[in-house]
Amino acid sequence: MKYYLKLGFVLLIITVIASGILAFINSFTEPIIKFNEQKQKEEARREVHPEAASFDSIGTINNETITVYAARAENDSLIGYTFLAVKYGYSSDVKTMVGLRSDLSINKIKIISQAETPGLGANCTKPEFQEKFSNLKYDNLLVDKDGGNITSITGATITTRTITNSIKEAFDNLDPVLKNTKTEEVTE
Amino acid sequence: MRLFQEFTKGFVKENPVFVMALGLCPTLAVTSSVENAIGMGMAATFVLAFSNSIISLIKNLIPSKIRIPAYIVVIASFVTIVDMVMNAYFPEIHKNLGLFIPLIVVNCIILGRAEAFASKNNLLRSVIDGLGMGLGFTLALIVIGSIREILGAGQLLGYNILPATYKPVLVAILAPGAFLVMGILMGLMNLKKNK
Amino acid sequence: MSQIYAVSAAPHIKQKISVSSVMWQVALALTPALLAAVVFFGIRSLELTIYGILAAVITEALFQKIRQVPITVTDGSAVVTGMLISFNLNVASPWWLPVAGSVFAITIGKQIFGGLGHNPMNPALLGRAFLVASWPTLTTAGWTASAPFKNLFEGSINGLKNLPSNIPDVITSATPLGVAKALRDPAIISRDMAETVMNKLADMDTIRHLFWGNIGGCIGEVSAGLLLLGAAYLAYKHIIEWRIPVSYIATVFVLIYVFGGINGLFSASILLPVFHIFAGGLILGAFFMATDMVTSPVTKRGRYIFGIGCGIITVVIRLVGGYPEGVSYSILLMNIAVPLIDKYTVPKPFGEVRS
Repeated sequence: MKYYLKLGFVLLIITVIASGILAFINSFTEPIIKFNEQKQKEEARREVHPEAASFDSIGTINNETITVYAARAENDSLIGYTFLAVKYGYSSDVKTMVGLRSDLSINKIKIISQAETPGLGANCTKPEFQEKFSNLKYDNLLVDKDGGNITSITGATITTRTITNSIKEAFDNLDPVLKNTKTEEVTE
Repeated sequence: MRLFQEFTKGFVKENPVFVMALGLCPTLAVTSSVENAIGMGMAATFVLAFSNSIISLIKNLIPSKIRIPAYIVVIASFVTIVDMVMNAYFPEIHKNLGLFIPLIVVNCIILGRAEAFASKNNLLRSVIDGLGMGLGFTLALIVIGSIREILGAGQLLGYNILPATYKPVLVAILAPGAFLVMGILMGLMNLKKNK
Repeated sequence: MSQIYAVSAAPHIKQKISVSSVMWQVALALTPALLAAVVFFGIRSLELTIYGILAAVITEALFQKIRQVPITVTDGSAVVTGMLISFNLNVASPWWLPVAGSVFAITIGKQIFGGLGHNPMNPALLGRAFLVASWPTLTTAGWTASAPFKNLFEGSINGLKNLPSNIPDVITSATPLGVAKALRDPAIISRDMAETVMNKLADMDTIRHLFWGNIGGCIGEVSAGLLLLGAAYLAYKHIIEWRIPVSYIATVFVLIYVFGGINGLFSASILLPVFHIFAGGLILGAFFMATDMVTSPVTKRGRYIFGIGCGIITVVIRLVGGYPEGVSYSILLMNIAVPLIDKYTVPKPFGEVRS
């Protein structure tokens, strides 16, 4: 009996020391990790709205899975919105940062993360593909195979359609959130 | 001299991947590019060197009945340290390696060296063994990673090294490519050994 | 040792056949289909086939020289492999595509296991799987219709000329099976239109085009009729045996009849299974690839199981999988299962006492 208590005691000591060390290191790295994550999101938003000076959250849509941000210029006037559209593609969740102008046409999109097939769906991260979405409006969000103008990635219609539909679905629910901010808009 | 042999044995003669066939899961999973291979290799080497040294130090304090859980706690701690530090300072590589960093805990090379070497040898030799084995693992990953990246993407470390007319053999950076390249390399090593 | 060789109970009949004569006759049987491809797609299909054959033969000779074993390229097996690989390609492929496929098929698919007779999977199909995984855009997209003789029969690329003009693009630029696949996705095509097109597919006219080969597709699968001619010759010579292809095709027929319609079970017309048999690579696969002696079961019951298994996997891929065509993967998967099938279907020797 005493022997088994000793075994437990030794293990206890080892785990206590280990968790102590881990906690100590965590206190250093945690803020950096948090900061990195914030910075990454901020950079992604700036990527689709380069001219914006600040972003502020104006509400959530799609059961609070998507947070919509308003992009504002130096003088606080509204220049557009950004949100992160997510949808399952061929083999992974495709996350697309979307930047809208205040007239709801697309300024730019940026694929933030995906794990689609290399060489096919993964080509959606190429700038040539993402540029095709610029200036499109809700009604034009249609892949060429379905009769629209967005040229699908060769051999990866599913990925193209996923990205298009993820943006479209977010669009569908955007209205209520935007109404709240319209009033704050600075008239020029 | 003996120490030097202890260091280099993991490179070819007792290479953890090609000869001992240990740690194959990360080998197959992260070698789609050289950058990932180096990141994974260095992380594993770090864990291996430190876990070997700690285990060598405390080997006499641990009753043999609970040595495996004790080793695992030590290894898991170092893996968690690597995970946190990488996430903080190298977020890009951390994102690519993803799940495979925490999985270093169950990488057979590390527990294998702890059990087979560090628990029977002194501190210096254990550290040397850990470093050597870790670098051998890294070397194997880099070799597989380079072949796959050159064939499958026409690149090395992200730089295009083949002419633009080269149409990449996509299968090399997909999962089957990992099995093929590793299998062929293992076969060639056996062929050489048996000659 | 006797357990390995005595598959069925004695007496055994000896036949005067050799690997060499078998392989050359298979090559001969494939020739009519190649001629059809030249007629429909142009001389380019012959060129591609020759590239594939040359690459296969040279690779085999080189590999055998390196392994220091007798060089056996004259037995014709490499020729057949090279031919089948080119048959699986689009006629617009670059020259290096059949070459890469043949090199892979011969080295990884065959010689690395110890040469002919030791390969677990059909080398040609493995070569094709390698090409599809490596260059998916070159091997699965952009099928060309038969250009020079396009108007020989009045149908166009897929016999779907008289369709309503507002049908989305995908429908008119794909292979017949690509069309059949697209119909199942409501995101691409509306239900009503899908039904109209479906009726067009399951139509004697379409099937006639499929049979003679005036369709878009890869080199070797283009003319079902001429492939059947070659298969009939091989069957007459007892080189291929009927159990695998018959059970394979029958399974596809039944399953497509039951599940193939777009309005639930049994909603397909009886012509839809016929369409599925002549479209794509089923005839080529069932008669020339699934029957490969090395990679198919040796027992009679095993051959039925093998054929039915291929049929089930093919239909599952065609109806619900990610690709329009599933013949090659179904045969590869069943190839892997062959040792297992053989193990469980060994006939009991007559008169053996149960221990």
